[in-house]
Amino acid sequence: MSDGVVVGLFESVEKAALGGDALRALPLPEERITSISSFPLPDGAVSRDTRPIRFPRVTLLGWFLGALAGLALALATYLLYPLITGGKTIISVPPTLIVTYEVAMLGALIGTVAAGFREMGLFRFRRKLVHDPRIQEGKILVCAAVAPGDQARRAIDALSAAGGIDVRFEEGEV
Amino acid sequence: MKHKWAMAIDLDRCTGCGACVAACVAENNIPTAGEAEVEKGRSMQWIRVARYWDGEYPEANAVYLPVPCMQCERAPCETVCPVYATYHNEDGLNAMVYNRCVGTRYCANNCPYSVRVFNWRDHAWEKPLDEQLSPDLSVRSRGVMEKCTFCIQRIRRAREQAAAEVRPIRDGEVVPACVQTCPPGALLFGDLDDPHSEIARKLKDPRRFRLMEHLGTEPRVVYLKRQKGAGL
Amino acid sequence: MSGDHLARTDATALFHELTRSNLPATRRWYLVVGLLALVVLWGLGCFVYMMKAGMGVTGLNRPVMWGVFIATFVFWIGLSHSGTLISAILRLTNATWRAPILRGAEAMTAFTLMVGGLFPLIHIGRNWRFYYMIPYPNSRELWPNLRSPLMWDAVAINTYLLGSLTFLYFGMIPDLAIARDHATGWRKRFYTVLALGFRGTHNEWRRYHVASTIFAILIIPVAVSVHSIVGWDFAMAKVPGWHSTIFAPYFVTGAIFSGIAGVVLVMAALRKAFRLEKTLTTVQFENLGKLLCMMSLLWGYFYFAEFLTVWYNRNPEEWEVFRSYGGHYLPLWLSMFVCNFAIPFPMLCMRRVRRSIPALCTASFLVVVGMYAERILIVVPSLARRNDPFIWNNYFPTWVELSILASAVAMFLLLYIVFAKLFPIVAVSDVQERLFQATDRAVGGTTVESLARPEAHGEGGRG
Repeated sequence: MSDGVVVGLFESVEKAALGGDALRALPLPEERITSISSFPLPDGAVSRDTRPIRFPRVTLLGWFLGALAGLALALATYLLYPLITGGKTIISVPPTLIVTYEVAMLGALIGTVAAGFREMGLFRFRRKLVHDPRIQEGKILVCAAVAPGDQARRAIDALSAAGGIDVRFEEGEV
Repeated sequence: MKHKWAMAIDLDRCTGCGACVAACVAENNIPTAGEAEVEKGRSMQWIRVARYWDGEYPEANAVYLPVPCMQCERAPCETVCPVYATYHNEDGLNAMVYNRCVGTRYCANNCPYSVRVFNWRDHAWEKPLDEQLSPDLSVRSRGVMEKCTFCIQRIRRAREQAAAEVRPIRDGEVVPACVQTCPPGALLFGDLDDPHSEIARKLKDPRRFRLMEHLGTEPRVVYLKRQKGAGL
Repeated sequence: MSGDHLARTDATALFHELTRSNLPATRRWYLVVGLLALVVLWGLGCFVYMMKAGMGVTGLNRPVMWGVFIATFVFWIGLSHSGTLISAILRLTNATWRAPILRGAEAMTAFTLMVGGLFPLIHIGRNWRFYYMIPYPNSRELWPNLRSPLMWDAVAINTYLLGSLTFLYFGMIPDLAIARDHATGWRKRFYTVLALGFRGTHNEWRRYHVASTIFAILIIPVAVSVHSIVGWDFAMAKVPGWHSTIFAPYFVTGAIFSGIAGVVLVMAALRKAFRLEKTLTTVQFENLGKLLCMMSLLWGYFYFAEFLTVWYNRNPEEWEVFRSYGGHYLPLWLSMFVCNFAIPFPMLCMRRVRRSIPALCTASFLVVVGMYAERILIVVPSLARRNDPFIWNNYFPTWVELSILASAVAMFLLLYIVFAKLFPIVAVSDVQERLFQATDRAVGGTTVESLARPEAHGEGGRG
């Protein structure tokens, strides 16, 4: 049987924090514990983010790729179609800089959104993802990624003891 | 073989008759815009004879200035066209490519001499006027810029002729329509690269000046200052 | 019981209050949309007529080869700086009052850019050959000339449009998730697809914050460069009155100025239409009013600096243009000065005005009118009184141009109204976040609102 998730709904941040503590006391490693809420919680309120956020590097990569593309566009145009205009040189530096800069920024923007989507784990339509629409009432869903069986039972007990509503084991991923 | 085509306009001789304008219209398939359109500032003429008033009535004098395309060596119109519809060719002429023009009109804005003209409409030549159209050049559609080309079709003809006869183009062989027609002979055309050409000799005149020289466009049309009465 | 404001708010009720615009369309909505669509169609018809009959149906002539189409283009691109300012700059400076106006301002940016970006296609003489300006392999063996400021325009506006659309969509994802959880029927499928599976896990929120911050950091230089490049369309030309180094910062300032005024008007309209009085409070409007006041002063400063330079030098070519401001173009110039500075600036200095939404809207409307007059004053007199006095000519738009301008306004309103109907027009998740961070703190004998700032501890940023 595949891994699943034990979830429990909590009325407030304080109660959800108790739930998170109870899970950590099982013990359960931090990366298996998370919260789902309709508003962002400060790091450590209920769970802590263990994976470092790296995608600013992709922004930089996107910037450089875009700059390369912009430079190529400008230079390729000048070199492939060498027409004299205005008595100026075939290759001009300032317009090349402007075009390079703009395409670089476009690269950075697209890189950021692509990396953002990936890091946030969006677009995973095929997978079964754990969710509870009741979080829109201001409640917080505390989740523990556990193996079914004994670990799941202990997690359910821990969350129920901390005051969780509708604590259950669900197949799927966080 | 490369040439450095230039035009000299002697303002001492110009009488403001406007024959150059009429000749250009006849030679280059230029449509007649009509009085209403000209009132709105949409004349289609490639060369204009600008008239300025010198002094107050009743001592006012008219000063005439024929203004063709200056064929600037550093043409401001060429750099701003987004589609390369105008560029500098090997003869140093500012070439206009009608087929490429998308009609942004930036070149016209950037021309300080305002010699560029835009086709605001499609034009029709009613019979039998369509028989006067020159087959050497096109009729431009609406939305396209046009301007004086130093009668490039005549330059090309002369070049082909000279190439066929395996000889260089002789001085005075290429004559644009305006130069050909000017009654007092105020307009002169020739190759500055030829040291013996009439224009090379004429432009040694100390009266020479170029229009709006301070803008750095380096025009190929050189004027010779009027000496009678108040100079320009 | 936690004391934060979100805990004592009914989240469902808040959601329904903030998304009143998403209620099923009423007859009145269809009527308004229908009318706007009619105006847009009329403009489209006029455009097709202009395409077939030639640009002669406009009032353009030699030397005034650019008229209201270009002035309006600059105007719309200027308005697009609204969202960038509100979303990006306020986000980065952590202005706490920004939450309710984020979405509306970002949407305004996206749609003003779309409308403004149409004008370069409208004003060219051979519109059907616009693709000559796109670099793609072709048998003509030619690519566009990237030395031309118009091509810089194309690249810059393209970047800005894609960037702000992405910014708008990315920022909407949490709200779409909230809407998805509340929705039924076709809307549920619609929001499910668009929310891309966002649920609100802790990891998602943190990465969302980082990405949004990076976006905000990136979009500001893009916005600045875009309007600088639009200004350089003029500054690169050898036209007296255009060839000025101040144009780039002057245009950016003017853009932000008109953008803020636009945001005020759009927000006031949203507040009225969807009864958002509790969310779009006087706090938002007062702060926007303060920004507007500052921008009015800044605009006045830039204009005076430019005027002073030309006036002192009396360079004949430029002076003739400026003289015409006191002559033929005096009504336009007075409108600009009065509407941009003389009335709004003293008005906005008064707290009473900033706290009164009708008064603030009046000032903003004047600013929008004044900025439009300013755009026309930049484009037309410089061309009408340029180098050679023999060909000086005046310009007045014809019914064709005015129709197309009206349909552009209608198109923007149409896009915005449809957007507001389909998507949450208030950033619900940002409002919720703000409420969550706010608590009441007793200080001595009084109670003040206190805001938690997770960012202060390096939270909400890079991991």
